[in-house]
Amino acid sequence: MTNLFLPLLIFGPLLAGCLVVLVPQRVRFLKEALVLAVTAADLVLCLRLFPEEMTLFYPWGAYGIDFSLRLYRFSAFILAAAGGFAFLIALYSCVFMFAKEKGRLFFALFLFSLSLVNGAVLSDNLIVLLFFWEGLLLTVFGLIAIGGKTAFKTAVKALVIVGVADLCMMIGIALVGHLSGTFAISKIQLSLGGLGSLAFVLMMIGAISKAGSMPFHTWIPDASIDAPLPFMAFLPAALEKLLGIYLLARICLDLFKLVPESGLSMALMIIGSVTILLAVMMALIQKNYKRLLSYHAISQVGYMILGIGTAVPIGIVGGLFHMINHAMYKSCLFLTSGAVERQSGTTDLERLGGLAGKMPVTFLCFFIAAAAISGVPPFNGFFSKELIYDGALERGLVFYLAAILGSFLTAASFLKLGHAAYLGPKSEATQKAKEAPVIMLIPMIVIAAGCVYFGLQRSFPIGQLVQPAIENHLEGQDFSSLLPNKKLVAVTAIMLLMALVNHILGAKMKGSGLKAVDYIHDAPVLSGLYEKAERRCFDPYEWGRVFMKGFSYLLWRLDRGIDWVYNAGLPGCARALSNTLSRWHSGSYVTYLGWSLGGLLVLVIFLLSTRSF
Amino acid sequence: MLSLMILIPLACLLLISFLPLKGKRVAFAVVMALAFFQIYAVFSPSIMANRHLPGLASVFNFTLAVDSLSRIMLLCIGIVIFIALLAAGPFVKEEDKRFYFSGLMILELMGLNGVVMVRDIFSMYVFWEVAAAASFVLIALEKKRDPLEGAFKYLIFSSVATVFVLSAIAIILLISGSTSFTDIRVALLVTPHSNLIILAVGVFLAGLFMKAGVMPFHGYLPDAYASAPAPVSILLAGVVTKTLGVYTAMRIVIDIFGFSTALKSILLCIGLISAIFGALAAMGQKDLKRLLAYSSISQVGYIFLGFGCGTPLGIAAAIFHIFNHTVFKSLLFVNAAAVEDRLGTLDMGRMSGLASRMPITGTTSVLASLSLSGVPPLAGFWSKLFIILALWQSGLYGVAVTAVLTSLLTLAYMLLLQRRVFFGTPEKNMAGVVEAGFNLTLPAVILAILIAGVGLFFPYVVHTVIFPVVSF
Amino acid sequence: MGTQALNMDIVILFLMALAALWTVMTRSLLRSAIGLALTSAMLTILMFRLHAPLAAVFELSVCSGLISVVFIATISVTQPMSQEKVLQHMRDRLERFWYLPILLVLIGIVLSFVSFKFNLSVPLPEIEKDPRVVLWNQRPLDLLGQIIMLLTGVFGIIILFREAKQK
Repeated sequence: MTNLFLPLLIFGPLLAGCLVVLVPQRVRFLKEALVLAVTAADLVLCLRLFPEEMTLFYPWGAYGIDFSLRLYRFSAFILAAAGGFAFLIALYSCVFMFAKEKGRLFFALFLFSLSLVNGAVLSDNLIVLLFFWEGLLLTVFGLIAIGGKTAFKTAVKALVIVGVADLCMMIGIALVGHLSGTFAISKIQLSLGGLGSLAFVLMMIGAISKAGSMPFHTWIPDASIDAPLPFMAFLPAALEKLLGIYLLARICLDLFKLVPESGLSMALMIIGSVTILLAVMMALIQKNYKRLLSYHAISQVGYMILGIGTAVPIGIVGGLFHMINHAMYKSCLFLTSGAVERQSGTTDLERLGGLAGKMPVTFLCFFIAAAAISGVPPFNGFFSKELIYDGALERGLVFYLAAILGSFLTAASFLKLGHAAYLGPKSEATQKAKEAPVIMLIPMIVIAAGCVYFGLQRSFPIGQLVQPAIENHLEGQDFSSLLPNKKLVAVTAIMLLMALVNHILGAKMKGSGLKAVDYIHDAPVLSGLYEKAERRCFDPYEWGRVFMKGFSYLLWRLDRGIDWVYNAGLPGCARALSNTLSRWHSGSYVTYLGWSLGGLLVLVIFLLSTRSF
Repeated sequence: MLSLMILIPLACLLLISFLPLKGKRVAFAVVMALAFFQIYAVFSPSIMANRHLPGLASVFNFTLAVDSLSRIMLLCIGIVIFIALLAAGPFVKEEDKRFYFSGLMILELMGLNGVVMVRDIFSMYVFWEVAAAASFVLIALEKKRDPLEGAFKYLIFSSVATVFVLSAIAIILLISGSTSFTDIRVALLVTPHSNLIILAVGVFLAGLFMKAGVMPFHGYLPDAYASAPAPVSILLAGVVTKTLGVYTAMRIVIDIFGFSTALKSILLCIGLISAIFGALAAMGQKDLKRLLAYSSISQVGYIFLGFGCGTPLGIAAAIFHIFNHTVFKSLLFVNAAAVEDRLGTLDMGRMSGLASRMPITGTTSVLASLSLSGVPPLAGFWSKLFIILALWQSGLYGVAVTAVLTSLLTLAYMLLLQRRVFFGTPEKNMAGVVEAGFNLTLPAVILAILIAGVGLFFPYVVHTVIFPVVSF
Repeated sequence: MGTQALNMDIVILFLMALAALWTVMTRSLLRSAIGLALTSAMLTILMFRLHAPLAAVFELSVCSGLISVVFIATISVTQPMSQEKVLQHMRDRLERFWYLPILLVLIGIVLSFVSFKFNLSVPLPEIEKDPRVVLWNQRPLDLLGQIIMLLTGVFGIIILFREAKQK
C-alpha cells in the first residue's frame, strides 16, 4: 500500500462530485450509482487503511505551509466512521432524493463534503486543515440552500455563525503558528497560559462550533426544517460531530495539554453542561420530529465536550465513545424522521400518531436509537454516558448532576416523541402510511444494529477504536472491559424510571403523549423563557442581526448625511456662487473694464512690491 | 520658406478678390486648400526649415522662425480653420457673404500665422491686430443685434488690450532700443529692477490676459463667443484667444521675461482664479455657447496653471492642454452649431433628449465632455494629469489639490450640459429634429477621432510632439 | 524740455482724457464718434509734441481712420434709444456707479502717499538708430502686416456698410 491512497481519499470524492455535476439531469440512475460506488470505495479504502500509519508530505508554499497528510489510529477511526456514514446515508439518499429537483447538486455537494471531511481529518498542517475546514462551510451553505424557499435565509445564518467561529479559529491558528513557529500539527506542543490560552480558546471555538455546541447552534434547528433531510443525518448529526470533536480532542490532547486543574478545562465543562441542559430543555417542548432531534443533536454535543473537558482519561474516553455513539444513533434517528416524512408527508408531531403498526421496522430502529440516546442499558449510549458521568463526578458533583438531569430530560422528550409519533391513535396523515422502501430501511437497520453491537460488545469500540487513538493520554488505564460504577448505574436507572413514570402520569393527565411534558413548558417562569426562546430572543445570531441593523441604520444615516453634502450641500454652494457670478456679469462695459483695470492695478502693484525685474 | 505661410494665403486672397464672380464660388474651396496646406506644411521639414526664398522672391525673406511650440500652434490653426469652414455651410448661405467670410478667414489665418512665427515684438503686435480686427468683423458678420454688440464689446476690449500692449512695447523699445526678442532679453538682463520695466511687464501681461480672456480680464469673452456665428465661435474659442493671449504670453515669458518667482505666482494666481470661477460661472449658464465660453475661461486657467510652474513638465503640459482644448472645445462648439442649426436656439431650457434625435452629435459631444472633464483615457485626461503632476512636483500641493477639485466642478457642469441637452427622453417639441447635416457631423467625427486617438496613443504623441517643445 | 512745455503736455493729456470720457459717457452716438475723433486728435498732438511724428501719423490713420470707421459702422446699425430710456439709463448708471468718483479720489489719495519712484533716468543702452529707422526702414514684415491690416479694414468696411445699407 502506498501512501498515495491518502490523496485519493480527498480527490476521489472531489472528482466524482465534479462528474456528478456533469451528469445530465435526465439521466436517472447514473449519478446515484456513481455516488454509491464512490462512497463504497471510500469505505473500503478506509477500512483497508485502518491499521496503517502513513504520512504524505509535499512542500507547498513558504511560511511553513505544506501539504502534509497523516494517517494514524485516531484519524483512521474518524475516516472509517465517516466513510461508513457516507455510504449508508448515500444509500438512503438514493431513494430519498430520487428524482428531486436539486438531486444532482445535492449529490455533488455530498461528495464534496466527504472529500473535505477526509481532507480535514487527514491534514497534518493547520493551514491545510483550515482550508478543508472552511471549504466544508461552503458545502454546508450549499446543502442547506438547496432546501427550499426559506432555506436560503437559514443557509446565510449558518454561514454567518460558523463563519464567525471559523474566523476565530483562523486567528487561533495564526496564533498557534506564531507561538510554536510551525503549522505542522504533529510537531506542535504548546503550553497553556497567556497567548497560548487565547489561542486555545479561539481554536476551541472553531472546533465546538463545528460540532454544534451552544452558543453556535442556532442554525441547526432551522436547518433541520429547511434543509434536505439526508443532509441533517450526514453532516450535523454525524460528520460534523466527528470532525468537531476530533479537532477538539486534538486541541486538548495534542496541540495543548489540557490538565484537570486548569480554568480552561472548567470552562469546557461549563460549556458542555450548559449546552446539555439548555438544548434538551428546548428539545423537550418541540412539536416537530426533526426540530426535536436537532436540539438533541446540540444537547448531546454537550456530553462530548463535558467528557473531553474533564481532562481525565475516563472522561475523554467517554467523550470520544459518545461521539461515535451519537453519530450512530442520531443519524439513525434522523433517518427514521426522513422515512416518516416520506411516508406520511409531515414531521409535525400533532399530525402524526400510531405509526408503529404501519412502519414496524422504522419504529424498531427508532426505539433502539431512542433508547441508546436516552442511555438505556444495554445500548451503546448507556455505556458512553456512564463513562462521562464517572469523569464528571471526578471533577465535581455539579457537572454530574447537570449530566444526569440532561439524561432525565432526554429520556422524557424521547418518550414524548415516540409516544406522539408511533403510538396513540392514527391521524389523518398516518392513515395511509406504509413501511419505507427497503433501501431506506437498510441504513437504519445497519446503524441500529451497530448501536446494539457497540452496547453489547463495548470492549471492541472502546478497546479497538477509541483507546488506541489516544493511547498516550490514558495513563495506562484500560476502560474497555470496565464495569460501570454500580452506584451511578443505580442513579441512572432511577432517573430513567422517573422519566417513564413522569411520562405515563403526564400523558394520562393531558390525555396525549405529545402533551406529557407540557407542565414543564407551562411552568411559571419557564413558560416566559420558552416563549422568548421560541421567538429567538436568545439567539446570538438574532442579537447580532439586531445590532447589525442598528449599526447599518447608523451607517445609513451617516451615508445619507454625506450624500446630502454631495447632493444638496456642495451643489447648493456651487449654485449660489454661480448665481452670484452670473449677477456680476451684467454685460456692462464699465464693470468689465473696471475689473480689467483693477486686475492691471493689482498686477502692477504686486510686481512693483516684489521688485522682481 | 516660412514666409510662404503668410505669402501663399495673401496670394490666394488677392486671387479670389480680383477674379470675377467665378472666383467667389471657389472661395470656400480655396480656404479649405489653405487649411490643408497649413497642416501639410507643419509636417513638412522643407517648409519648416528656415531657408531663404530663391531668386526674385527673395524680396519676401522675412525674419520668421518656428520651434515646436509654434508648430503645434500652426497645426491647431490649420485644424480649426478647416473645421470652422466645414461648419460654416449652414450658417453662411449667401454667395457674396461666403466670399467675404472666406476672405476674412484667410486674413485671420495670416494674422495668426504671423503672430506664431514672428520673433519681433512690434511685428507681433501688427499681426496681433490683424487677427483681432478680422475677428471682430467676423463676429459682426450676422445682421442681428447681438452679434454686433458682441463684436463691439470685443472691439472695445481688444483696443484696451492693444493700448496696454502697445504702451508696454513703447517702454520696452525705450529701454532696449530694439524690438527683436533676443535684443530685448539681453537689454532687460543688463538693466534689471527698473520700475519702468516692471510697469511695462505688468501692462504687457495685463494686455495679454485680456486677450486670453482669463479672470478678471474676461468680461467681453462670453458675449463675444455667444453672439458670434457658429463657425466664428469655433474659430474664436479654438485658436484666436489661445494664440493671441495664451501663446503670446508663453512666448513673451519664455523668450523675453523669463520665469521669476513673482511672474510664476501671477500666472498661477490668475490660472487658479480663472479655473475655479470660470467653472463656477459655467454651472449657472442657460445658454449653451455661453456655458462653453465660461468653460473656455476655466480651461485657459488650467493652461496657465501648468505654464505657471515654469518647469519643463509644466510647460509641456500647458502646450498639450492647449492642443487638447483646441480639439475638444472646437468639437463642443461644432455640436452647439449642430444643435443651433436644427433647433434655432441655444437656450438649454428648451432642449431635451437630443442624443436620441441626433446620435452623432450626442455621442461626439459626450466624448468631448469627458475629455474636457479629464476622464481617462481621453486626451484631456493626460494633459490635466500632467498639469497636476507638474504642480505637485513644484511643491504647490494646495494648488494641485484645488486643480483636482476644480476638475470635479468641470465634470459637474459638463454633465449638467449633457443632461439638459442630450440625455433623457426628448419632449414633444423635439419631435421633428433630425441629425445635423454632413458638414456638421463630419468635423465632429474627425475631432472625436482626434480626441480618442491622442488619448489612446498619448505616449507616442507626448514623446514625439509635446516634449520636444521644452527641450530649449 | 521746459516746465512750461510739460505743463502744456499735461493739459493736452487732461483734455484727451476728458474727450475720451465724453466719448464713453455721452448719450448720442454721433457725439460719441466725434469724441473719439477728438481723443485721437489730442493723442496725435501729444505725439507730435513728443517728437514722434511718424507715430502720430500712424495713430491718426489707424485709430481715427480705420477703427473709428468700423466703430461707427457698428453702431450705425443699432437702434437709437428713446428719450425715456435714455433718462432711465442715466438714472441706472448713477445708481450703479455712484461710488466710482469716491473710489477714484480714494485711490488718488492712496497713490499720493505711496511714492512710486519711476526711475525715468535709467541708463539707456545706446540707441544707434533713430526709432523711425528702427520701425520702418528695416521692417518689411511690418509693412506686410500693415497691408494685411488694411485689407482687413477694407473687408470690414465693405461688410458692415453693406449691412447698414440693407437696413
